[in-house]
Amino acid sequence: MSIEFIWQLPTSGDGRYGNAEKQRRGERSSSAHPYSPGVTDPRGQSFNYFDHLHQVARAADLAGFDGLRIPEDPSGDEPWIVAGYVARGTRHLKLLTEFEASRGSSVYAAKNAVSYQRFTGGRFAWQIKAGASEKQRRAQGDFVADGDRHARIEEFLFVARGVLTQSPYSFKGRFFEVQDGGFQGALGNQKVPPVYLSGNSPEDYRLSAKVADVHVFDAANAATIEREVALVRDLAKKEGRRLSFGLRLDVLARETEEEAVFDAERYWQQPGGRQAGGAPTVDQRLWAGLTKDNTGAAATLVGSYEQVEQALIAYYAAGIDSFLLSAVPHFEEAFRLGEHVLPFVRSQVSLEQRRALGGLS
Amino acid sequence: MTIDIFWRIPTHGEPSSHRSRTPFRGDWSPGDDSKRKPGLAGSGGDGFSYIDYLAEIAHAAEISGFQGGLIPSFPMTDEPWVISSVLARETKTFRFMIPFQPGFLNPVVAARMTASLQRATGGRALYNIITGGGGPQQLWWGDAVAHDDRYGRTTEFLDILRGVWNGGPFSYHGKFYRVEGAGLADPLAREEYPEIYFSGSSDAALASASKHADYYLSWLEPFEQLRRKFDRVKERTQELGRRIKTAIRVDIVARPTEEEAWEEIRRGFDSLEKSVVENFQRSADGSESVGAARQRSHRPTTINSYKDLIIEPNVWSGFNLLRGGQTNGIVGSYEQVAERLDQLVQLGADAFILASTPHLEEAYRVGEEVLPLVRGSASAAGLRAAG
Repeated sequence: MSIEFIWQLPTSGDGRYGNAEKQRRGERSSSAHPYSPGVTDPRGQSFNYFDHLHQVARAADLAGFDGLRIPEDPSGDEPWIVAGYVARGTRHLKLLTEFEASRGSSVYAAKNAVSYQRFTGGRFAWQIKAGASEKQRRAQGDFVADGDRHARIEEFLFVARGVLTQSPYSFKGRFFEVQDGGFQGALGNQKVPPVYLSGNSPEDYRLSAKVADVHVFDAANAATIEREVALVRDLAKKEGRRLSFGLRLDVLARETEEEAVFDAERYWQQPGGRQAGGAPTVDQRLWAGLTKDNTGAAATLVGSYEQVEQALIAYYAAGIDSFLLSAVPHFEEAFRLGEHVLPFVRSQVSLEQRRALGGLS
Repeated sequence: MTIDIFWRIPTHGEPSSHRSRTPFRGDWSPGDDSKRKPGLAGSGGDGFSYIDYLAEIAHAAEISGFQGGLIPSFPMTDEPWVISSVLARETKTFRFMIPFQPGFLNPVVAARMTASLQRATGGRALYNIITGGGGPQQLWWGDAVAHDDRYGRTTEFLDILRGVWNGGPFSYHGKFYRVEGAGLADPLAREEYPEIYFSGSSDAALASASKHADYYLSWLEPFEQLRRKFDRVKERTQELGRRIKTAIRVDIVARPTEEEAWEEIRRGFDSLEKSVVENFQRSADGSESVGAARQRSHRPTTINSYKDLIIEPNVWSGFNLLRGGQTNGIVGSYEQVAERLDQLVQLGADAFILASTPHLEEAYRVGEEVLPLVRGSASAAGLRAAG
């Protein structure tokens, strides 16, 4: 499989250069005049954060990313609506939409997925997350016990695949039910959304081994990733399956290492950059916790373009095919990475693949 | 109060006329490109999909003066949440009327989806809450709650939607749904709550509508019967302290002259297979829907010509022979159709959802020829003054 780069759409707010504080760019939070009284403002209330999200999505498409991850964050905008909103403005991006299996009927999710596939030429993909603690999930109307979350995801996917690929299809399980279901005619034979699952627990691994197309790891050093990839790969083998692997990683890349480190430290020292978990710890250019509160990534890769490229290539060697990246601010950084980092990694990986096939000596 | 007039988005495919049974327009069925472009040899792949055609209709409706459109949801159709979010950015005034059944979504998720859609569209989302016709089809959707229970569930669903809307924390312990400390986050919590059109003719439905609906939505029925129904709805909801408005979903065929309009119906009817008409005569569709039963009750026992289905002036009760959906529709000259709509306003209608095939050209026709003739609430005011 070739590698893919997936950029993140910041559904609950984005920062700016030199200002780590999360905000909804483009959105007016008050009706107060934003400039000094001597300067006119032509915008009025005609723009909001959705216009910025559209910009970020277009940026990722133009800069050569393969996909867009639309994360589920209860404090942000709802990912399925955002996916639809950016669908028409993008041409190539896979729309990796994150949600929890508590969102409703699995059949209804599958039916909505059919329309996304029809309208985007099959670019819709699913990332399903297990969700937060019981107490937090109750605020989302979800009362399933923590221990049942994985079983519910498995059943959700089983039923969704059932109605997407067979008709009539019937199933009655613990969480979902359907009788003589399935999509026919104009809605028939649409692509099942590729399924990305994540997490670092044994239950997460077992579930991925059974049902995921891609298992996404949180950022960790390459040696750890290589070990975990082997673990999940073995579990999948026992299920008679193969899957590929992704890495959720933030990137802070600059022309020189000094600039990158300077920006990482400045980020950390700003009000919005101070993380709940304390000061970041650095391991092989991985700054753990630097941007976690903002983007959700466990660690940020900090370095020069060349250093970042080498690190990504090392992850590829460790078994990673899908890079789920983000950086603050998401709009500007999409172009930076698309221009300065992705091309070399792609060409290097493609060279190695040809070498592995014996095409090059 | 003025009258809101909506159009419909043909999610169930679009034939080119009332005479055609083949909904091949705009790639409704993927791979049908070969019918328009033989050179493509059925490979599809011209980069267009049905959403491109639906976008044209949404634009036609907003240009032609409609509020927006109903986006019907059935097992064979695309989904209104998807259509609305995909078309959010490229429409200006079009309001997306989303039908959905409360059992299909977690209410807190539905609230977030709606608030985000309001943000994406500048407040152009509204609901048509459907509680489901029951029978086998309900299980197709994966939903197994019995008929009267479903309205209880709808009420609970809307209780929660309302409860979390402006922020919460909101807790609720119902028979079907529970939440603890729920609420939309800012800035989603600042959006306007969507208008709710409510469908369902049973007593259980009316009880639920009284609590949460802004509009009670009915198919077209014989005018006197509809007057009584609207009176009952308004009376009943008034008793509960909340008088709600009423709306009518109706197909129309409007032409420069009445003869041309009936000729369109005649040709549509005459193009039907005999067995279709026979089935129609006998039809018992197994649905638990009271609305469907109310429409069937006006059917004559023998049907030899389209004329047998004219149940009152300019009202034809064979529309679902020509395409899926409701039975009764209005047929006539531009002036007659406008007059009938005004009569419906006089007997209590506050809003309309109109439709005609093909939806694209007919949106322009109705917008240009019929809407300017409708007097709307002015006609009802004149009536009251005179009476």
